[in-house]
Amino acid sequence: MINSLRIINKGVALVVGFGLLLCAGFVLADIIMRQIGTSFGGTEEIAGYAMALATSWGMSFTLLEMGHVRIDLLRSRADSFKRALFDVFSMIVMSGVVVTIAIKAWPVLERSINNGSRANTPLETPLVWVQIPWFAGWVWFAVMTTLTTLAALSLLLKRRHAEMEDFVGAFAEQETLQ
Amino acid sequence: MIAYVSVGLLGLLALSIPVGIVLFLLGFGIDTFFSNFPLTRGLGNMVWSSSNSATLISIPFFVLLGEILVRSGVATKTYAALDRWVSWLPGGLVHANVATATMFSATSGSSVATAATVATVAMPQAEKLGYDPKLFSGAIAAGGTLGIMIPPSINLIVYGFLTQSSIPQLFLAGLIPGLALAIGFMAITVIICLIRPDLGGTRRTFPFPQMLRALIDLVPILILFGLIVGSIYAGWATPTEAAAVGVAGALIIAFAFGGVSWSMLTQSLTGTVKITSMIMLIVIGASFLNFTLASAGLGRELTEFMTGLGLTPLKTILVVVVLYIVLGFFIETLSLMVVTIPIIVPLVVAQGYDVVWFGILMIVLIEMALITPPVGLNLYVVQGARKSGSLNEVMLGALPYCLTMLVMAFLLIAFPSIALFLPNALQ
Repeated sequence: MINSLRIINKGVALVVGFGLLLCAGFVLADIIMRQIGTSFGGTEEIAGYAMALATSWGMSFTLLEMGHVRIDLLRSRADSFKRALFDVFSMIVMSGVVVTIAIKAWPVLERSINNGSRANTPLETPLVWVQIPWFAGWVWFAVMTTLTTLAALSLLLKRRHAEMEDFVGAFAEQETLQ
Repeated sequence: MIAYVSVGLLGLLALSIPVGIVLFLLGFGIDTFFSNFPLTRGLGNMVWSSSNSATLISIPFFVLLGEILVRSGVATKTYAALDRWVSWLPGGLVHANVATATMFSATSGSSVATAATVATVAMPQAEKLGYDPKLFSGAIAAGGTLGIMIPPSINLIVYGFLTQSSIPQLFLAGLIPGLALAIGFMAITVIICLIRPDLGGTRRTFPFPQMLRALIDLVPILILFGLIVGSIYAGWATPTEAAAVGVAGALIIAFAFGGVSWSMLTQSLTGTVKITSMIMLIVIGASFLNFTLASAGLGRELTEFMTGLGLTPLKTILVVVVLYIVLGFFIETLSLMVVTIPIIVPLVVAQGYDVVWFGILMIVLIEMALITPPVGLNLYVVQGARKSGSLNEVMLGALPYCLTMLVMAFLLIAFPSIALFLPNALQ
């Protein structure tokens, strides 16, 4: 299961990455247009939305690539069983927090839907347009952390610690930087 | 509350819970135990408003810029070019390590990426030319730390965001200390190699025409740096926009060097998403903790705490320096910076210190954290790239550079204008 989650989220990360590249192109075009005295207007606002979406949708990829920084001080000194306990504990706590965030993100969207809120900017973007995908990103992250935690728990119960460490272990810095 | 946050922070981090998550947990705790009104109700809004930020989008842009440069082979050419220019000094190639790291710092915003780049390129040379592996790898680990000091710096963007200080001013303030540190690193290398010539490998000189030709390989990086920093101070672009300019510049350079391919592009993009989300989970967590601490009245408690201690401003700063050195053994850069900002910055500013100046001092101190064991990310990165010998060698080799940073920290405290001169002059 973890492998399919990884493949899916790599696809998501690619989409997010190209989105960011597109956003960079957009910002660049705006700078050039300003030099010749015109402008799209609203680039700042759009860049902000791009960042919010990139953040919420990129989290799961980072999770599955073990990219969220952990302090590996006591854990690295433990044997494989205790390391597995550290990992599962930290995943359970993480799922709890991320699910809470996703739940608390709903009222933000709900208010925008009920009030038909628009951004307080020249573009007057209806906030719902950006907050729906933003909220969906956090829900996606919550689902991914929960699934990862469950996968780790089941491997812990089967005592397959090494396999578990492949997806919830501490960071794999070197690999990612090469 | 101060004790709760400090103990809670260290305890939860030691359990190896992800740093960003720890910050949220502490925020929940503050809400439960210290606040009269339900702060967690504001969580959704905090997450939305701290990630919906045109300032922070410069982070993925600068990461992407670095990724493109790293993966396109530009680093190899830069290293070779700098080798021609600095290898006549006692210590030879070690200076090329520091110099390449300095140049890459000037374009990439990240220390770890800088160290990884230089290490991959430089390590094969070390054995061939008979360098002491300790000094050689230590210099790479240390040189890489300059990435967060010399603008553009992702850490300074995060600092500016969380303390609401001016990012262009922070960038200007980082320039002189960053270059001074690079020169300091080279000076200490020369001193060490004059005392122990056997550590420094072969010194080589190159014919002048070759040196001139090598300069061509440095031009793209220099232009890129000029574009990014120049466009900010010429008033054409905000730091965010300059980062976008940098991405375009890096792509053009990579094209010119023939380093662009589909797989290189997709790797750079996914790498960017991974690092950005890693940083953002911590930044959003810190924003939330900041918000709960401020709402629960941390400011008043801190002031009382400091009055109770009766420390002079200078003594306060010295305590802060010691604190960072100690914490730096265990916590790595960005996390160290972000978890301490909510408490330390108000405390220091209340003592009458400049927030921009303190940002730079803090960067020097967390640069040290990158190369102090047992948790020093750059040490591991360099060790990972060299694939032989032990981690202890890298640690030992990094020690002289650690001391150089400490000297720099004290110089900054004694002469704040090292950092503040440029921002003041150009205001």
